[in-house]
Amino acid sequence: MKQVDVAIIGAGPGGYVAAIRLAQFKKNVVVIEKENVGGVCLNIGCIPSKAMIHASEIYQKMHHAAEIGFTVGSVGIDVKKIQNWKEGIVKRLTGGIGQLFKAHKIDLITGEARFKTRRMLLVKSAGGEEEVAFDSAIIATGSSSAIIPGFKPEGKYVGTSTEGLSYSEIPKELCVIGGGYIGLEIGSLYAGLGSAVTVVEATASLLPGTDPELVQVVARELRRRNVKVLLNTKAVSWKEMGGKAKILVSKEGKEEELTSDKILVAVGRVPNTKNLDLEKIGVALDAKDFIKVNDQLKTNIDGIYAIGDCAGQPMLAHKASKEGLVAAAVIAGKRELYDVRAMPAVIFTTPEIATVGLDEAEAKAEGYTVKTGKFPFVASGKALASGETDGFVKMVVDAKTDRVLGLQMVGAGVSNLIGEAALAIEMGATSEDMARTVHPHPTLTETLMEAAETVHGTAIHIFQK
Amino acid sequence: MEWKMPDLGEGVQEGEIVKWLVKEGEKISHDQHLVEIMTDKATMEIPSPTDGVIEKILVKEGQIAKVGQVMAEIHGGAAPFAEKRVEEKKQPSVEKREIKKEMGPRPLEAPRSTKALASPFIRQMARDRGIDLEVVSGSGPDGRITQSDVLSYARRGSSGPLQAGETQEAPSPLPSFGPEERVALKGLRRKIAEHMIASRRTAAHFTHVDEADFTKLIAFREKAKKIAEPIGVKLTYLPYIIKAVIKGLKKYRTMNASLDDSSHEIVIKNYYNIGVAVATEEGLIVPVIKNADQRDILDLAKEISRLSDAARARKIALEDLKGGTFTLTNIGSIGGVFSAPIINWPEVAIMGLHKIKPTPVVRENAIVVRQIMTISISADHRVVDGAEVAAFLKEVIQFIETPEELA
Repeated sequence: MKQVDVAIIGAGPGGYVAAIRLAQFKKNVVVIEKENVGGVCLNIGCIPSKAMIHASEIYQKMHHAAEIGFTVGSVGIDVKKIQNWKEGIVKRLTGGIGQLFKAHKIDLITGEARFKTRRMLLVKSAGGEEEVAFDSAIIATGSSSAIIPGFKPEGKYVGTSTEGLSYSEIPKELCVIGGGYIGLEIGSLYAGLGSAVTVVEATASLLPGTDPELVQVVARELRRRNVKVLLNTKAVSWKEMGGKAKILVSKEGKEEELTSDKILVAVGRVPNTKNLDLEKIGVALDAKDFIKVNDQLKTNIDGIYAIGDCAGQPMLAHKASKEGLVAAAVIAGKRELYDVRAMPAVIFTTPEIATVGLDEAEAKAEGYTVKTGKFPFVASGKALASGETDGFVKMVVDAKTDRVLGLQMVGAGVSNLIGEAALAIEMGATSEDMARTVHPHPTLTETLMEAAETVHGTAIHIFQK
Repeated sequence: MEWKMPDLGEGVQEGEIVKWLVKEGEKISHDQHLVEIMTDKATMEIPSPTDGVIEKILVKEGQIAKVGQVMAEIHGGAAPFAEKRVEEKKQPSVEKREIKKEMGPRPLEAPRSTKALASPFIRQMARDRGIDLEVVSGSGPDGRITQSDVLSYARRGSSGPLQAGETQEAPSPLPSFGPEERVALKGLRRKIAEHMIASRRTAAHFTHVDEADFTKLIAFREKAKKIAEPIGVKLTYLPYIIKAVIKGLKKYRTMNASLDDSSHEIVIKNYYNIGVAVATEEGLIVPVIKNADQRDILDLAKEISRLSDAARARKIALEDLKGGTFTLTNIGSIGGVFSAPIINWPEVAIMGLHKIKPTPVVRENAIVVRQIMTISISADHRVVDGAEVAAFLKEVIQFIETPEELA
């Protein structure tokens, strides 16, 4: 039997970050991971999808290079090589975490853990079963792709994001079920690589929950890529016919049949809180099977913590990491708290969407008198020089104090601008603070400064009456 | 269990950890003394409420702990709850080690998130110190809470502009020019440092000097000693000087006062508690003779002996260090010509006594030798002016020079 200070179940961006921080606090840590270090994020999520999106962007740029003055012949795609390149990136990252674990003397067990008691795990691995007794445990088991009835991955046609990032060839036709961020990121990347993509979305809009002003810009690019978007449409069933998948969809009672080479099911994610024997030790879950935690990431059972996707929305890698840091500090006896005012979120569609803080509607709902400023990328020298002028930066401020409440952006590269916005909110900056901060020229960061100026009607590069 | 700093009584809110008397991992028993704490007024040892093992010491020596702050984690043994409550109220002192209130475990208040205008670092800083930012008022623009707001709140338990003795910025380390030794500024030394700076920053100091002729008083005391010694009373000049001072204070009432900065009022005191500075091994402390105006010479002499003995033996009670209205400091036993003492703020004035020396003086146009003492008074010019201080001292000297009117 092993006896450790802290046992962590799951080595994703929540679990591995918590493990390293606990090691820094001189705690004796064991991490139990059932698959690969790095979790969904590094292995089959954030990182491989970004690599594939990058590949798709390069392909797109080669096609549009003629506009600048290049003579481009036909561009071939070697999917196998692209996949190898992507796997290489994943290996480097996961290998890096493995090395950090070694350097910190963190014990990594590849296996499945379940709770035997409130202070002991039963770990099943290739080497058999062993007991791991702990003082504290962190559940960081993440989430899995949700499946809808009738569309269970079967190995050939139907798959989730995992399969969608590993197709051995570019599907001629791709049917994406779900118009949320995963469906649109992957759908849009294959559309960029030449697939004929159809998106089937059950609600009335793409990216439900995202400011329609932002979604509109992405929808325009999807149209340019000839992506067919079916709103208010439900996927009913599918069958194989003549080497293709035939999908039956229903739009407001009217049925329609689509054909496709692949079906990508991207209808959300569900927490991995089964098969841990949580019920046996009495860890409470909410109605959606997320583990209930307080703002110190404590579950209802003393000494047991939960972080990341399995502990509730939003399901974001960086939220998991932050919670991992807080849980580690709490375990180490610090008076830490999950005290986050600005949780940024990025959607890696083309163009990208990035948000942090409150949008205009949310701010009004919270009772603020709101002022906004909006600056379009078409007025940015850097955006023009890069040939990517779609989108804008919008800033929402409290009219009374001028304090920045939120920023919403859509455009190429906005994922790299949102960090400044998050810092502004955490620091309680005013829009004038942001306007008065010198931003380097020519960069996209200037658009934040200009958006702040537009709040006061004093932008330089657009005319305001 | 988390062991918290108990209520020390007397409205004392915090104390400095002078010394831990136990180590981590040490087995302890109920009532065993755990830690030595110095408060504004006195040093005391605090007993354990329980049997158990010291798991972790959370407040280091030299740090300030607030009442209710978790000081250590004690493993095993629940604290007796009600029984402590009924203990009779005694003043905590080195000898009497009772703690007045219950010391049972109470759940540590969980930190909570706030909407206060403060950066993430400041928010964590407040949590580390168990401070709720909602009650801290920020000194920055729009009420932004700064690092110094949190630090001064932590020190005082309340918000507001910096007080005398509080520094805004962390001072930079002193450069070194040769071999040195560094000794932690702690305990009484630290208290003195803080108190003196507070006085200097608050009061508008000025010093006035005059001479007193002790020739008559010397003869007078020699006679009185013959009465005092057989009954075991050590009679110095101090009781006579105190008597003279009280006569002066009664005439010049603003000398026996304080300035209340919170209300911009001069508080004139109708009681006469005279502090007498006593040098001890750890540093200077000022025991207070309560209601000195109601005591006769012998009584004053007895009280002075009691207090200075207790102070030197570090057995002084908290109560004996509080409530002074005017202070005497005697430099004469060592020597020197004259000194400008720092006011024992919030009092208005302090009197410096020096060596009685045979001195040639002019009396009726002739040089004669008299027993002369230089007496200095430092006073707070915000409350009293030079003329008043000079007149007060003249009044005191007149009584010293006519001792028959004192007894």
